[in-house]
Amino acid sequence: MHDLDDQQWRELLQRLRRFALWLTREPGTADDLVQATVERALSRRGQQRDADSLRPWLFTILYRLFLDGKRRERLHARWLAWFGRGQAEEPAGGEIESIVLAQADLQAFARLSPEQRALLLLVSVEGLSYKEAAETLGIPIGTVMSRLSRARAALRELTEGNPAPPALRRLK
Amino acid sequence: MTRLIPTEHELHAYVDERLEPARRAEVQAWLAANPQEAVRIEAWRADARRLRAALAGFGERPSDPHLDLAPLRRRLRQRRQRRLAAAAVLMLALGLGGIGGWQARQVTLFAGMLPMADAVQAHRLFAEASTLDIEARDPARLQAWLGTHFNRVGRLPDLAGYGFQPVGARLLSNEAGPAALLVFEDRQGQRISLFLRSPGEHFERMPTGQRTDGQLEARYWSHGDYNFALVSAVDDTRGEQLRQALGVSL
Repeated sequence: MHDLDDQQWRELLQRLRRFALWLTREPGTADDLVQATVERALSRRGQQRDADSLRPWLFTILYRLFLDGKRRERLHARWLAWFGRGQAEEPAGGEIESIVLAQADLQAFARLSPEQRALLLLVSVEGLSYKEAAETLGIPIGTVMSRLSRARAALRELTEGNPAPPALRRLK
Repeated sequence: MTRLIPTEHELHAYVDERLEPARRAEVQAWLAANPQEAVRIEAWRADARRLRAALAGFGERPSDPHLDLAPLRRRLRQRRQRRLAAAAVLMLALGLGGIGGWQARQVTLFAGMLPMADAVQAHRLFAEASTLDIEARDPARLQAWLGTHFNRVGRLPDLAGYGFQPVGARLLSNEAGPAALLVFEDRQGQRISLFLRSPGEHFERMPTGQRTDGQLEARYWSHGDYNFALVSAVDDTRGEQLRQALGVSL
């Protein structure tokens, strides 16, 4: 991480931010997530990576932080519900919404579950190997394959203008 | 032939360019022979391509000064240094507290310990006793006895000039090792004693001094390898002269 030049670093940041944006669909939260990821990575100097494994490693940190945040959020939501205040599911950020509306290709993608989005981003967009994706998401490689299969089928269906019921978003 | 039919997973791996070249060729051949499957696979591939295109530049922002590498490293370093500093301050505080507490403990522990208190104690216990280890009226015998137990001791002075004759001696021991109580008596039966031992842990550099303890006067000093104390009655006016004589000689 210390032998990256500024250009490489900016590119890496952009990839992280893209991943974070699609996970959280909330620019503010995504930025926080990226910042936390980078700080954690820099503070773990004992785990220096070479350039090849740096990217998956950073994605891994980011995804773990995202899951931690989700867990806290769920706990928080449960408390709120307990006090009689329900919360809307997955509020989508304005920036994402406008981009998605402007680009037809992203509309279907935006309707996938966060897990499916994460996997397609890692495999199809970031070009991670299945093994790296499995490590990043903390799941067995078999789960990566079956999730990939479902994600592609769901994306296909959504792209063909055959909107799946909202319940599909909850699919794992 | 079954080997040739690719699994669903292999088809995904084919789309993602993750197959071994040999297998890849086989799958390619199989797809050529199965146009329906080929269409399905091509759709996946197209989806991935579109996704990549749509997401190129997505999430890009001019520049986030918070995340520039150099200042970020600097900030992290500062934070780490602050933490280290805080930890150091904490350690220092704990350390000072600990050392201070230990010192305080030492002070209170030894506040009650006076130099050569054991000499006074020995005098009280044994100077008047009839049972000494050796009965030695002869100064030369006493000197010989002393030499066998304390091989770096000087010569005992002849105290006859002050009216004192040796009575005997008793070998004692304390935490610093062996100690000896040498008892002298004048014609009236007034007894004085000379106590000597190795320096104790706490009185290694014992200052020369004098103090009164009840009816007894202790004069103490260090010389060579030993600490000495002369214990006599408070009202014995010969004490100081005896002390000088012993101090010169031993």
